[in-house]
Amino acid sequence: MIFLVNPSKFNKVADYVFLPVLILSIILFSIGLIFAFYLSPDDYQQGSTVRIMYVHVPSAWLALLTYVIMSLYSIAGLAFRIPFGFIINTAVAPIGAVFTLICIISGSLWGKPMWGTWWVWDARLTSVAILFIIYVIIIFINLSFENRIVREKVVAIFILVGSVNLPIVKFSVDWWNTLHQPATISKLSKPSIDPSMMTPLIIMTFAFIMMGIAIAILRIKTEIISRKSYLS
Amino acid sequence: MILVKDLSIERSNKKIFENVNLSLGSGKIILLKGKNGSGKTTLLKALLNLIEPSSGAIYWKGKLLKKNLYNFFNHVTYIADRTSSLSNLSVQENIKIWKKFFLSSISNSQVDNILETLKLDIYLDQKVNSLSFGETKKLEFLRLIIENKKIWILDEPLSNLDNESIDVMAQTFEDHRSKEGSIIFSSHQISDINVSEEVLL
Amino acid sequence: MIILKKIISFYYREYKLNLSGFQDILTNIIFFFVSIFIFIFSIGPDKETISSIGIGIVWTLLLLSSTLSLRKFYQDDFENGNLLIMHLNGLSFGFIAILKTFSHFIFVQMPFLLSIPIACILLNIESDKLIYLFYSFALGSFILSCLGSISSSMNLMNQRNFLLGSIIVMIFSVPVIIFSVSIVNLEENFNSLISILFGILLIVFAINPWASGLCLKLSLENN
Repeated sequence: MIFLVNPSKFNKVADYVFLPVLILSIILFSIGLIFAFYLSPDDYQQGSTVRIMYVHVPSAWLALLTYVIMSLYSIAGLAFRIPFGFIINTAVAPIGAVFTLICIISGSLWGKPMWGTWWVWDARLTSVAILFIIYVIIIFINLSFENRIVREKVVAIFILVGSVNLPIVKFSVDWWNTLHQPATISKLSKPSIDPSMMTPLIIMTFAFIMMGIAIAILRIKTEIISRKSYLS
Repeated sequence: MILVKDLSIERSNKKIFENVNLSLGSGKIILLKGKNGSGKTTLLKALLNLIEPSSGAIYWKGKLLKKNLYNFFNHVTYIADRTSSLSNLSVQENIKIWKKFFLSSISNSQVDNILETLKLDIYLDQKVNSLSFGETKKLEFLRLIIENKKIWILDEPLSNLDNESIDVMAQTFEDHRSKEGSIIFSSHQISDINVSEEVLL
Repeated sequence: MIILKKIISFYYREYKLNLSGFQDILTNIIFFFVSIFIFIFSIGPDKETISSIGIGIVWTLLLLSSTLSLRKFYQDDFENGNLLIMHLNGLSFGFIAILKTFSHFIFVQMPFLLSIPIACILLNIESDKLIYLFYSFALGSFILSCLGSISSSMNLMNQRNFLLGSIIVMIFSVPVIIFSVSIVNLEENFNSLISILFGILLIVFAINPWASGLCLKLSLENN
């Protein structure tokens, strides 16, 4: 697992992994989209709009997962002085921002037919919007500092301070009475979702993960090359 | 008291200097010489534990500086190349703040004497931002006397000073040396200050 | 004993500094009142509407005007080297952050306490709500000071885009605004809401010396 903290090892592993991951993500996307649009049933309440879920839920999960990864690498960078953590932070932040944006847009498209409005100010929606703004601030900090050492450490500190938002996003549906439905899939209890909808959801989730990994590999490799002299 | 062993510092993969050895005992004055960008300020900052050395170590009284930091700070005055006096306040108020802040036991008449030798006594009630650059620099040196510490770390103390003030500085350095104090300062101009060691970076 | 003397002299210095720059603080307060005028002009002078959203307006403007003065939080002391001198005088960076936070709370936020009753008269807020507004402001403004310390220490080396500092404060002050406003509006939940606000204060107060201290050290190292 040393390739997760060492840039040159990461480069080697990434060279092997990149093409299979990309192909796998394309295959999973095609299967998943066929499942999502033709093979899965309509919801008895929501009708055909439930199919938005197959984009909305995986992107929401990945938006949170990306932030968790960034927090872990920030701790690694600050506490254990692993510079690779800072590389991950710069490389991965835009990916997380895009996932959050996909989540917000698809959710608002879903909300219009179901709730009758594009946007409501409830806890889940607001906290996800704040998550998006935090991602944008991270990108802006990356752009506006000139001194690289200061910049990457400030970004890491900001990510750690901003991670207080994560539990709020996750548990907002349980803590407050929100319009947004509570989580249907959880580890502890039997999922309250039908297997025929579960299959495409899982396939789509893996497709999103593979796509995310493929883009992340590309961005991390660029980042490593751009500061090669500093790391060698 | 301060011992620098094989110190090398690199920033952004660029070597600034390598294998510097220093020992600053009591009654010693060390002059750091070198071109612009040769790392004089960096070395002085490393002595204050602001910059992590890439190899080598700094010792204070036989212990690593990092482990003994606040004890070290009790004995050191640092004057940077910028002036730290508060520009919105008058000279007198600045002196009063410094005396309180550094818990100084120095008497008012002593301060007045020094102000007179530095020719700052006429500006006592004026705001610092109405003083010229050289005069604020001279005001800054008043901190050396007020803080009354053993080790002086000075960054470019002689630039922007007239010859007369440089003579005063040289006299102050001599007095400090005779009181078993030690000084390390950087300069790129030639002066007749009597130094005990020169280090070329 | 020595540390106590150092703290007292630190506040003496801050007092002198803020006294000489008192027009800055006064400008903040003027900004606060002018914004209230603008708000009233834009929504119309209807008494019912104004008193129903008055608390929200007061809190929004308090937040905005306290972010105005963020640039001065550490920047002056950083640029003329006083932060380093304080550190060399035996105060750790985290401790400097705590002292500075209290100084900002006392010298910048507290003058707003005097302007709140006048704002209440202008915005038609009933006088029995005033005491709740004071409570929520006393806690909330301290949280804002802590957040201001974190964000302005982050932005010391940022020469290009200082507005980022204000955005960072505003994004983290969302829970403060929510709970402070609801303290005033929902008086029956006073105890539980003030506990939540106090909890947020403790969390932010615990993060502040770590984050600000680290950023101050970082900026001084690379300056």
